[in-house]
Amino acid sequence: MSDSPSVTHRAQKKMHRKMQEGTIISFTTISHPPKGFGNRPRTIGLIELDNGKQILGELLNQKLETSNQKLIIGQRVAPRTRLSRINEQGLRIYEVCYEPLAMKPVETKKEFPGYIVALTGPSGVGKTTISRLLTSKISLYAAEVPILTTREPSNQDENEYTYIDAKKFEVLKKQGKLAAASNIPSSTDTRWYGYRKKDIEAIWKAGKIPVVITEKGLLQDLSRHFGRRSILSFGLLPPGKSKRMMLSCLLHRLRERGRDSEESIRDRLKNAEKDLDFFRQKSHLFDDLIVNEDVDAVFNALKGRVLEAVDS
Amino acid sequence: MNQDIYLIGTGQTPFGEHWDKSLKNLMDEAVTAAIDDAPINALDIDFIVVSNMLGERTNDQAHLGAMASSLLPHRPPALRTEAACASGSVAIHTALSLLESGRAETILVVGVEKMTDVSPDEISAALMGAADSEKDIPSGLTFPGIFGLIANRYMHEYGLTREQLNLVSACHHANGVSNPNAQFRSAIPAEKISQSPSVADPLCLLDCSPISDGAAAVILSNKHESHIRIAASQISTDTLSITDRPTLTSFPATKDATDRALEEAEITREDIAHLETHDCFSIAAVINLEDLGFAQPGTGIRLYEEGNRDSQIAAPTVNASGGLKACGHPVGATGIKQIVDLTKQLTSSNKRYALAHNFGGAGATCCVHILENTNV
Repeated sequence: MSDSPSVTHRAQKKMHRKMQEGTIISFTTISHPPKGFGNRPRTIGLIELDNGKQILGELLNQKLETSNQKLIIGQRVAPRTRLSRINEQGLRIYEVCYEPLAMKPVETKKEFPGYIVALTGPSGVGKTTISRLLTSKISLYAAEVPILTTREPSNQDENEYTYIDAKKFEVLKKQGKLAAASNIPSSTDTRWYGYRKKDIEAIWKAGKIPVVITEKGLLQDLSRHFGRRSILSFGLLPPGKSKRMMLSCLLHRLRERGRDSEESIRDRLKNAEKDLDFFRQKSHLFDDLIVNEDVDAVFNALKGRVLEAVDS
Repeated sequence: MNQDIYLIGTGQTPFGEHWDKSLKNLMDEAVTAAIDDAPINALDIDFIVVSNMLGERTNDQAHLGAMASSLLPHRPPALRTEAACASGSVAIHTALSLLESGRAETILVVGVEKMTDVSPDEISAALMGAADSEKDIPSGLTFPGIFGLIANRYMHEYGLTREQLNLVSACHHANGVSNPNAQFRSAIPAEKISQSPSVADPLCLLDCSPISDGAAAVILSNKHESHIRIAASQISTDTLSITDRPTLTSFPATKDATDRALEEAEITREDIAHLETHDCFSIAAVINLEDLGFAQPGTGIRLYEEGNRDSQIAAPTVNASGGLKACGHPVGATGIKQIVDLTKQLTSSNKRYALAHNFGGAGATCCVHILENTNV
C-alpha cells in the first residue's frame, strides 16, 4: 500500500471517526499479511461502530487468547490508536485498532443517571487543586467524591482519601458496591483506589454534580458503569510542546510539592508517561483535553462546562 | 439485445504458469485460436476490445489496445476495458454495445493476464486494487481476507460448517480433471481442502482460486452467423468497499444483473442448462448460487451435496469446466473463458441456454451473459 505523506495525512484526518466503540460483524485472521504489516498473522474485523458506520480494523486479541477465550461475532470492542509502522521516509504511521472488551457482556442501553465530572491526568498535573477549586467555589453545584484507597495515610495528604484496608476493599469490590476500582503500580506496594456507588449517588440526590479524580482504569470503569454519556471527561495536560517537556514540567512540580520521596516521584513519572500516551490512545474517553498552564483559566473553563451541565 | 449477435469463434491458451510466454505471446495464442475457429479471416475483424486488469503493475505494460491491434495485419481500432475480475465480461458487454450501435460488424474480444511475472506479495497488493484503497487496504486486508470475513459471517448466520464448505472446491477440482485447459487437473478429496494451509481463517489455500497466466478470446458478429447467439448481457454495480454494504452474505449486484438478464432473454431460471459462476473463493460459489436464484438464502451448499442434487428442480450444471478454482483465474481472461467453456458445453449437450456469471472485487461489478444454442 502507499504510505506516502499525502495518503497518510488524509488517513490521519479521518482517524477520529474511528475512535468509537462498536460491535464485531465478522473477523478473519490473515496468515500472511501484506507487505509492511509484519510477518505475524493479523486478525482483522469488520466492525459496526456505535454511530452505525462500518469500518475495518485490526483486532487485538492477545488478551482474550491469554484468558483462553475466543473472539466471537457480536463482541463489543473499544478503539485504541497505536503506531502501525514507519514508512521509508521515516514518517510514523498510526492506525486505529480495536480491543475486545473482555468478559463484559454486551451492554444494553443505559438510562442516563446524571453527569459526573471526571478529571484525568498524570501525577502532579494539578487534578486535586482543580477539583478543590471547583468544589469550593461552586459548592452549590459540585461536590467532591471521596476516594477509597488501601494505601497508608500520609500527613501530606489533603483530606481527599478515605482509608480502608485491602481486605475490606476486596469485599466491597466483590459485592459490586464500587463504581470503579483500579490499582496503581508502585515499586513498594500495590495500591488500590476506588469510588463507591453510594457516594456518587448521594451527591446526585443532593442535586449536585460529583467531581472525581481518575486515572485510566477508574475512568474506563466509570464510563462502563454509568455509560460514557454521563461522564464529562476532561484530560489535564501539563504545559509543554513535547512529551519530554511535559514530563520535565511534572517532575518540577512534584519536587516542588515536596510530598513524595525521590523514589516515589520516579514511580509517578513512569506512570505519567503511560497516562500521556493514554490521552492519544483512548481519545474517545475524553470530551476535552486542557493544558494546565494557569489554574484560574482551567477553573473558568471547567466552571462553564459544569454550569452548562447543571442547566441541562 | 436489439439485434441478433452471434458468437462465431472462440479460443484460449491453457491456464497455468507460463514462464516462457509474455503477455503478448499469450494474447497472440488465444487470438489465433479464435480466428482459426471462426468462419472468417483476420481481415474481417473491424474492432478489438482487450480485457486486462493488472498489466501496468505486473508487466509494466499499459496501452494494451494498441498491442492487440498490432497482432493483426490491418491493425483495426482497439480499446481496453478494466473492471477488476469482471474485466472479461465487461469487455464482451462493451463489444456487444459497439455492435448494436453499428460502429462495428465483427469484433474480437480478448482477455489476458500474466500474473506470475511478479512476487506473490506484489500480486496480492495489486489485486487489492479491486477493493477500496482508502477504506479497505489500510487495515492490512487482502482479498482472501475480504472473503474470510464473508465466510465467517455466512457461517455465523446460516450455520454452514467447514466440512460442508470443503465440498465446493472438491467438486470444482473433480470437474477440472477433464478440462485440458485447466491449471489443475487432479481430483482433490473434500477432507484435504480444510487440511491445506490457512490463508484467511476460515478459508484455506484450497478454497482460493490460484494465480495464473492465460488468455481467452471470442469473436462476436452481427454479420456472420453461428449456432450460438448472445441472448442477454447485463452489468450491475455495488459499493467498492464491503464496509458500505448492508450485508456480507449476499451480493445484490448478482441478483440485479441476473434478473435483468433473464428478462432480456425472456426466459426463466429453469431454462438454464449450464452455469459458469465466479468461484474466486469457495464461499463465493455458495453465495452466488443463492443470488443467482438457484437456491434459497443459506442453502447454496445443497447443490454441492450428494443426494440433494436431484431434488433441486432447476439445477443447471455448475462450473463443469472446473471453475476459477481448477481452471485458474488469470483475472482479465476469466470472464471470456467462461463464455468459451459454455459454448463448448452447449454444443456438446445440445441444450438451449447457458448463463455466465462473472464479478469483480467483492461483487462490486457483476456482469451476466446468457448464451442461446439456436440449433435446439
